[in-house]
Amino acid sequence: MVWAFLLAAILGAIAYLDRTAAFQLMLHRPLVVATAMGAVFGNVYAGAQVGAVLELLYLARLPVGASIPPDDTGAAIFAGTASAFASSSVGLDMGSFAATLLLSVPCAELGKTVDRLVRRVNGRISALTLEAVERGDSQAVDHGLLAGVTLFALAGAVLTLVYAGAGMAAGKLLLPRFGPESRLDFAALLPVLPLIGAASVFSCSRTERTAPAFYLTMTAVFAATLFFRWMG
Amino acid sequence: MTMSDGVPKKVRRSVWWRQFLLQGCWNYEGMQNVGFAYSILPALRHLYGGRPEELTKAVKRHLEYFNTQPSMGGVILGASVRIEERIAAGDADPRAIGTFKVGLMGSLGAIGDAFFWGALKPMASVAGAILALIHPFLGIAVLLLLFNGSHLSIRSHGYAAGLAGEESAVQYLKSAGFASRTEDRKIIAAILGGAWAGAVGSRTAYLFGGTTGSAGFFLVSVLTVHLLTVLFRKAVSPSEILLFLLIIGSLILWQ
Repeated sequence: MVWAFLLAAILGAIAYLDRTAAFQLMLHRPLVVATAMGAVFGNVYAGAQVGAVLELLYLARLPVGASIPPDDTGAAIFAGTASAFASSSVGLDMGSFAATLLLSVPCAELGKTVDRLVRRVNGRISALTLEAVERGDSQAVDHGLLAGVTLFALAGAVLTLVYAGAGMAAGKLLLPRFGPESRLDFAALLPVLPLIGAASVFSCSRTERTAPAFYLTMTAVFAATLFFRWMG
Repeated sequence: MTMSDGVPKKVRRSVWWRQFLLQGCWNYEGMQNVGFAYSILPALRHLYGGRPEELTKAVKRHLEYFNTQPSMGGVILGASVRIEERIAAGDADPRAIGTFKVGLMGSLGAIGDAFFWGALKPMASVAGAILALIHPFLGIAVLLLLFNGSHLSIRSHGYAAGLAGEESAVQYLKSAGFASRTEDRKIIAAILGGAWAGAVGSRTAYLFGGTTGSAGFFLVSVLTVHLLTVLFRKAVSPSEILLFLLIIGSLILWQ
């Protein structure tokens, strides 16, 4: 288990670096991260299942200018880990699925706060870099950037350990405390979650031309899949 | 110094790689200032080698406030290398670089935010999420390929256009057709988003049974999506809605 957490911390650090400091190759997206956490903690499919829904939930908040969107990478670390621990041989029950997704929200908000803190510390690093350059030390730019990147990576690794630990506690201890009936009641909330994701995508892409495309496709796919379900 | 004494290929390549760390020391005061100075540093060291005072002045020029969409930064970076070549050769005023960067970073930020965050990312995300229902790795592969195909191409071509000069950079931005590409990807994202909503909606509707129940559920789904879209447009965070659902869920469990 120690090795699994160590591996999770390394993957988490890479994901958090990709999120802001380096590359932006989308390795930090919830689908990627939750699947990876599911794989690390024993159930890749359960991780991917929650990752696919989480992928869309926070798209409505764009990382524009100085605004920091909710930390969906952190939410995915928690949800991927929790779902891997909560799933059984038959997979993840609907109640645990919904609970895992909703319990990940505080992680998304905590990550946002930590992100702000890191950026404030980076402000100090930037000021020190400028002072050193004024003294004629151009190497300070390399050091300043390295310090910033290290800070992002360390914060990411620590957050990953916290979220993965919380995810393990939720999946192993919290969710099993509620019986199958309570979890089934909780599953009543599940249909709303993918719709929040769809609304998130639509709010990003909404223009006069895209609105008919969205609703017509929704109608066509709804009718077609329902028809095939009834037939099959 | 002539233009043939400019930055060699090896140094240009080093600057290109360093652009991926543009946000490495992102901060509220200078934003991407340290990242920009770090990216262009190999070129400055080459151009002002043996002239430490001028090197210090050049580095300080690039430690001023800078912020743009990170994937569009390559255009400004390439053009800045070109302008620094001219400044080092005594053919341009050092103030020209600040004017150029400030003039371009805002508009490139707006174009890049709309294209990358407002259109390309939602499109890649929803395509990945849909295909992950078939197989997780298929979903991940499609998400990464769809996003990075455009992302890496724009970084590469933008940087090359910038290196060819400011006019070439502006020409690239005009010819790249970002407005139409943004619109196209938004339409694809909307179609895929609609497909996602329809597919997951029908799954639940199937559990309701008959035609009336399904039609009723469909109408509720459409209204829910519409209401949520309006809320998101009014700056309500998805977190607030999810927390509200978490409270409802806790009340369900409490009973």
